[in-house]
Amino acid sequence: MFRLLLMFFAFSVLTSFHVLAVEERYPLQTKQQQVWFQELTADLRCPKCQNQNIADSNATVSIDMKRKVHALLLEGKSKQEIVGYMKQRYGDFVYYQPPVNQTTIFLWLIPCLALIIAIWLFFSRRGEKVQSEIVDENVDHIDELLLSMDDDSTHQDNGDQGK
Amino acid sequence: MPTSKIVPLGLFLLLAILLFNGLFSDPAHRDSPFIGREVPTFNLPDLMDREIKYQASTFNNHYTLLNVWGTWCLTCKVELPYLTRLSESGVRIVGLYYEQDSDPMFKSQTLPQVQADVTQTLIQLGNPFEFNIYDEYRDLSFDLGVTGAPESFLIDPNGVIVAHHVGDINDRVWQSVFAPHFLTNTSNRGD
Repeated sequence: MFRLLLMFFAFSVLTSFHVLAVEERYPLQTKQQQVWFQELTADLRCPKCQNQNIADSNATVSIDMKRKVHALLLEGKSKQEIVGYMKQRYGDFVYYQPPVNQTTIFLWLIPCLALIIAIWLFFSRRGEKVQSEIVDENVDHIDELLLSMDDDSTHQDNGDQGK
Repeated sequence: MPTSKIVPLGLFLLLAILLFNGLFSDPAHRDSPFIGREVPTFNLPDLMDREIKYQASTFNNHYTLLNVWGTWCLTCKVELPYLTRLSESGVRIVGLYYEQDSDPMFKSQTLPQVQADVTQTLIQLGNPFEFNIYDEYRDLSFDLGVTGAPESFLIDPNGVIVAHHVGDINDRVWQSVFAPHFLTNTSNRGD
């Protein structure tokens, strides 16, 4: 039990190093600014990379952006102001939350449309059950046929044995 | 054909068209938010002589190709000979030196070392630049939304950015991205 506690303690210390290192390199005055820094570096996308946030990237431009986020927070800028600042320079691409406009509206519409189509298909399929009853009758008939074929084959088997 | 068959087929075709288009799109391409905007204000020194300072007004009264580059950048070296030919044909090219080494976060290189490196490179591969602006902390590059080198901006005589290209400039890029602006606006320039 003591071992387990020790391991848990070591694990929690090791995993918190990342946060400590960030706080050391980008010192901020208030808890709110620290939270915003974490959120912003997680939600701003490295413009040089295909899909990586600036917290995870060590590209020159990402480091510049992290320092800019830090500097702007120290200036007392809010989270939205900083996002706007970055968008002005690197476009909508730089923020992981796309704005709703003509090209991106489909991101919201497609799931809704898919749901509507799925519901419609579900209910239209239910209506088809009437047809399937007829099919069931045929199946019963096939069962009978199969049974009779089975009987035939057992007769044949008997016949074979008789030989 | 029953609707239960039309719907999946339609969805499949829609997806196929979407993915087929995706095959030919460049994932690194994005529209620059800078087209039509004025060059941001700046006050930066000359790469070779820190006493000389440049402001946005340096782009007034000329068409200028602002080329973001660095000697550490291989692709920039590849485009230098082509840019040199362009400048010989009358295009004004100004370099924005994108410093990467003297930054405290990276291995440091002193300014005289950078200058020697630049001089050496330009002697070897050609010098298309009227002068180089030294963007030591990449402030202007940041305000121009530069993601790396090479990148180029075409600035019109009013100091407004009319074209922005990420990557090297070769004949194909020049003809498609930059040359149209020259043909329509400055008939006696270039060719």
